[in-house]
Amino acid sequence: MTITAVIHEQQAVPQPKQHGKPGGLLRHTNIVTGVVLGLILAVVTYVIGGLLVPWGTENSNFLQVGESALVAATYTAWVIGFMIGIGAFAGPIRWWLGHDLTHADAQYLAGKGQGRGKYWKYTTDHKVVGIQYLVMAMVLLGLGGLLAMLIRTELGVTWAEVFDPNFYNSIIGTHGIVMVIAMIIVVAGPLGNFIMPLMIGARDMAFPRLNALSFWLLFAAVPPLASNLLLGGIRDGWTVYQPLGTQAPVGMVGYQICIITFAFSTGIAGVNLITTIVTMRARGMTWNRVPIFVIGILSAAIMGLVWFPMYQYSQVLALSDFAFGSAFFIPQNGGSVWLYENLFWLLGHPEVYVIVIPATAALMELMVVFLRKPLFSYKIAIAGFAGVVGISSLVWVHHMYMTGWSPAAGYPFMLSTELISIPFGFLVLVMLGTIWRGKVWTRLPMMCVYAMIWNKIVGGITGVYLSDVPVDQYMHGGMFVVAHFHFMLMGAGLFGAMGAIAYWFPKMTGRMLNERIGSIGFWVSFFAFQLTFGSMFVAGLQGQPRRVLQFDNAFDVSNWLSTIGAYAIGIGMLIFLYAVITSWRSNVIAPANPWGAKTLEWQTATPVPLENFPVLPVVTSDPYGYGVPDPYLTIEKQLTDEDQDAMVGAR
Amino acid sequence: MSIVDERSAPADQPEEPTNRPDATHRLREWLARPYVRPILTMFVVFCLLVIPIGWLVVFFMNMSGAPASDVMSEIEKTILVFTIVSAPLMAITLTIIVYSLVGWGRVTGDEPPMQESPAIRSNATGTYLWIGATSLLAAFLVIWGLLALANITASSYGSIPSNQQPNAAKAIDINVTGQQWVWTFEYPDQGKISSDVLVVPIDTPIYFNVTSVDVIHSFWVVELGVKIDANPGAITNTGVTPNKLGTFNIRCAELCGMHHAYMETQIQVVTQDQFDSWVREMGGKRTV
Repeated sequence: MTITAVIHEQQAVPQPKQHGKPGGLLRHTNIVTGVVLGLILAVVTYVIGGLLVPWGTENSNFLQVGESALVAATYTAWVIGFMIGIGAFAGPIRWWLGHDLTHADAQYLAGKGQGRGKYWKYTTDHKVVGIQYLVMAMVLLGLGGLLAMLIRTELGVTWAEVFDPNFYNSIIGTHGIVMVIAMIIVVAGPLGNFIMPLMIGARDMAFPRLNALSFWLLFAAVPPLASNLLLGGIRDGWTVYQPLGTQAPVGMVGYQICIITFAFSTGIAGVNLITTIVTMRARGMTWNRVPIFVIGILSAAIMGLVWFPMYQYSQVLALSDFAFGSAFFIPQNGGSVWLYENLFWLLGHPEVYVIVIPATAALMELMVVFLRKPLFSYKIAIAGFAGVVGISSLVWVHHMYMTGWSPAAGYPFMLSTELISIPFGFLVLVMLGTIWRGKVWTRLPMMCVYAMIWNKIVGGITGVYLSDVPVDQYMHGGMFVVAHFHFMLMGAGLFGAMGAIAYWFPKMTGRMLNERIGSIGFWVSFFAFQLTFGSMFVAGLQGQPRRVLQFDNAFDVSNWLSTIGAYAIGIGMLIFLYAVITSWRSNVIAPANPWGAKTLEWQTATPVPLENFPVLPVVTSDPYGYGVPDPYLTIEKQLTDEDQDAMVGAR
Repeated sequence: MSIVDERSAPADQPEEPTNRPDATHRLREWLARPYVRPILTMFVVFCLLVIPIGWLVVFFMNMSGAPASDVMSEIEKTILVFTIVSAPLMAITLTIIVYSLVGWGRVTGDEPPMQESPAIRSNATGTYLWIGATSLLAAFLVIWGLLALANITASSYGSIPSNQQPNAAKAIDINVTGQQWVWTFEYPDQGKISSDVLVVPIDTPIYFNVTSVDVIHSFWVVELGVKIDANPGAITNTGVTPNKLGTFNIRCAELCGMHHAYMETQIQVVTQDQFDSWVREMGGKRTV
């Protein structure tokens, strides 16, 4: 039987009627209308709500009754008001009115012909959203880094208290959560949105308007978090264990509203990324030809989508406890502190992989270009990602070994935690195998690969210590843990992200990143990082608990070294930031494919046109066709021939 | 006449010789490659450099005092063993990174290099070796960890006395209560005396019943290797048999509010006679 192609006649699809100018209401909305409407709605809510609050009565924690509910309502009003003001609800309302988007409308929404103004609007183009995420991530990293400097100042000044203890506790909590949010978005946001659709040969994300929604929800989530320092702060670390959280001042509500909103943002982004990768790949891009970075983004999106709701729910319940006097987590009234810890760590651990995996995958994607070699063992890489995603959901209790919740749970969770090191080892194997015998083009992105492998192996091995219950009995709650997860999140995550951004910078901005200044910043940060967290390991081994502002004199020296290192990291990061900003503003235009890479995003023009490709590409092989045949294999084959001849001759 | 298959390999995969020399031949051929011996030498050197980190780690842990219980000795031993067995992994990674930067050639400049590297898409031997080695390592660590956990659990709850001999000493129960920001120790069997310094006799199993009246604290007796959270609304248990006289640190290992950093006290491990007289001084009953 022969199969013949059936060619359908192209039919004219009835176009919706154009109502007014393209874009409609969204022509008039931007970040200013969003902020103004958000503030107005927040103030109105606060004033009206204030009339209902019984001022002057205090609850058992000496907090004003009703005040936290009022603040929660105010923050919620800010988020809703901002989203109305930026135009997030215009789409559903138009649809309800029957005003479907025309092609001109869609192009207006994607930012056609709006110049730089489109970066301040509810723009659906994935490239605009990517740039927005990049700037947002850098702002958050700057804020978190500033707070880190304050923390190290306090810990370096061993002879006095620099800050009020409550303020210090607020700084460590805010530093933690700001950095976690920044690290979650720093690769999956800019590169997942800007680069990934180009890489799979799509014209945009699957749901462009959800893409804009996910970014602006993140934007709306940040002011509540940042303002917590003005409202008494979150004095509980980024984990905000209950019932300590209920003792906090109303700044706590800012944290909770931020997390609830941010979880919506990640959920929407996750759905969008997964759908795009599954359905919008170019023709011929079968699953074994997908670039590995896309697989990394897919893995992270799946983990975020599945596990973020746990964290969100823990905060919904905690907000209910805090503002409305319920008792999910307050044992005095029948709640359970362990319930909170479980809900929190159900996301809390997969989140580490949400951060590390995209960075790892990005570096795998770029190292082949600088080594001119195919990726070593693509299938092992896939198996590694799949294994990490699978097992990551079964390890959260290793954060709870010492809680007393279930001493017997130590056994199975020690097993699962050490098991995850095997698929994680696959990823290291792929990177080392790709480096093996490669002639390396020593550019900044490739240097980040070396830095990341080193940091990952240090973080990985110290992680194996911590996965062991007896060792954790000494290390848990100490500085060793802090040093370990900074090696993973900052050493692997952030240095990986710096490499990835340096690599894709020419495509995203149209300019080359200044190699010299960027490298200086990078290496200063890298070596200072080793000093900071290397000596923090020592402080942890000596027995310094984490989240303390004063400590035994025995820990002085390692803390001084850490503080010196931390300031040097700050200087290195500022140099890197200077390189990013000056390069971005320079007039030297980068070529479309400066690295000679084979993935699709480099095959289109820079700056990338609105619909990415003039003609959608058709993929015929995977993008790793670098390299020449292995000379040693040829020799081996010749030896074989000689052997055969010898055998024939002997006969 | 050639019996070697001369069909061209499929485009996607490297060419696979159909009739490979035997394994020892291939090993000799591999060892003869110019980069192999330097790498193996570097690997051995790095192993020798990394392994001593194990003792360095133990040295740092002992800076505030050597282990004062079997539990802590077990923990230190575990850390030492883990560092030593992880050293080869660290060393091979370091070797490949360093050799890559110096040994296989470097290209600089702004233009993409013209010279391509060998197209190695997979290597069954290398992959099996790596997966086998990391799996064995993980298996060893898990088994060691499970046994060590069983061991310290037994040790904590007194089923193995510190001197491995049936212990004549009667175990002492102590109720530990955390509250912002002090520890209180109550001795129910000694006439309910209570103290803010923990005083215990040497070589006697001590059982701790730990709880909190406000928020979560974590009861950490540093040199004895004891740690358990003090949770409001629940009592958690652990135990230890101190085997060294002296004064050691108790710290709080869970952020518990404003003065978390100052929530520390001391444990004094004393002889049975000293303990009895301390109990009398505090107005309690003598141990039966």
